[in-house]
Amino acid sequence: MNVKFSTWSVPSLAKIASIIVIGSLLGSLAAQSPQRLSKRYTVGKNVRVELRNVSGTIEVESWNRDEIRLSATIESPNAHVVPKQLDSSLVIDVMSDNKARGDVGDINFKLQVPISSSVDLETRRGQISVSNLRGASVRAHVSSEGDITLSNIVATQVIAQNTIGNIFFDGEFSRGGTYEFKSTKGDITIRIPGNSDFRMVATSPARKIKLGDFWNDGFKTQDGRKYVGDVGDGRSSVSVTNFNGSITFMRR
Amino acid sequence: MNCENCQELIHDFLDGSISRIDEIALNTHLEQCLDCDSVRHDLESILGYCRTHRGEYAAPPNTAALWLRIRNVIEAETPTMAESIEPRKSIFSSLMSRSWQLSLPQLVSSVIAIVVLVSLVTVVGIKRWSVTTNSQLEAAVTEGNSDVNDRVFQRNQVINYWNQRVELNKARWSPQMRETFDRNMAVIDQAVSDSMNELNRNPHDDIAEQMLNESLNDKLALLKEFSDL
Repeated sequence: MNVKFSTWSVPSLAKIASIIVIGSLLGSLAAQSPQRLSKRYTVGKNVRVELRNVSGTIEVESWNRDEIRLSATIESPNAHVVPKQLDSSLVIDVMSDNKARGDVGDINFKLQVPISSSVDLETRRGQISVSNLRGASVRAHVSSEGDITLSNIVATQVIAQNTIGNIFFDGEFSRGGTYEFKSTKGDITIRIPGNSDFRMVATSPARKIKLGDFWNDGFKTQDGRKYVGDVGDGRSSVSVTNFNGSITFMRR
Repeated sequence: MNCENCQELIHDFLDGSISRIDEIALNTHLEQCLDCDSVRHDLESILGYCRTHRGEYAAPPNTAALWLRIRNVIEAETPTMAESIEPRKSIFSSLMSRSWQLSLPQLVSSVIAIVVLVSLVTVVGIKRWSVTTNSQLEAAVTEGNSDVNDRVFQRNQVINYWNQRVELNKARWSPQMRETFDRNMAVIDQAVSDSMNELNRNPHDDIAEQMLNESLNDKLALLKEFSDL
């Protein structure tokens, strides 16, 4: 039996080894790099977006188109994101999409939606920011920790709640609207026009309630921990609760 | 003639005022009716006895005196009857209209007895009232606290259930997620503890109670939301 042996010089072997090593490195890096998801959905003006994330940031902003653009960076290759478009809503439920998959890591979302959209956003952990919306409702719920920033919002219902983290609302209170802000440990800042009319209940056992220009003699207080009263004709209802942080009202 | 007519005629016969015709009819009937004949014999016996012993029952020795005593008895009873006809006086008015004749020692003894009785009643009454008021207050405070404690206990039972579920799943979480959960749970537990302390200081503190309820709700919500992970 004739066996042929090739002769390899040391430099050749070194080159081959280098190629293999670099290839492996690139392969593993590619595997480790986050996946990117980008989709577009044609929708009506008054669309409703529901997003239930586990961990990661959520950023929503309006744009001047009747469509939703969804971008997501997905940390874990095991994670699945399967948005569902229903009649007049888009539902992204990371929790349901990844049942029994273990830890799916962070998924960071960015959504561009029509300006009159309603959004219902949830995450167990991570920041939520919503800007420039004039829809029916905005709900931002962080189960544990993460800041919530709502900028330039005009909606008849706004709910923002977290456990640890700051809440910032910058917008307007609509007639007959309801607004609820709640945190266990963080600062809550509400920035609204000076001519806003609302009935307010603000509670902070830490006694850090600053009503600023919105203070008037009609407010009733219980030793500084709770303020109840009307600003203007009290046409909208505002409830602010903070266990261990400040509540600040600012003029826009 | 029947027996009824016969017995009516017997009285006339015994009085001697019966007519000749009735007497014949009566005799005829008496010969035939033994019962009526027996009645006639009884009546004749009674009348005979009376005639025989007439005059033996003498009148009272002093009839005038007897009548006088009778009149006195009647007159003595007349005021009592009048009183019974009058409208009844109340106990208070009858008591007030009553008078006693007391000697000085009796009067002094009565005054001392009244003073001692009133003092005893007052002391006992005040003691009982204060005990009742204190116990009511204590009961109210205890009830307030126990009410809160009961609710916390009940809520904690539900929380424990969800906590067990979370502990089962915790191993699957990333270290970052575990740290986040523990940190947030500690913050909520602190809020619960602060509210409980505030309620212990002042059981009627509405704000502390509201905060306690909300922090317990938040704790439960956090556990439920993380139990799905």
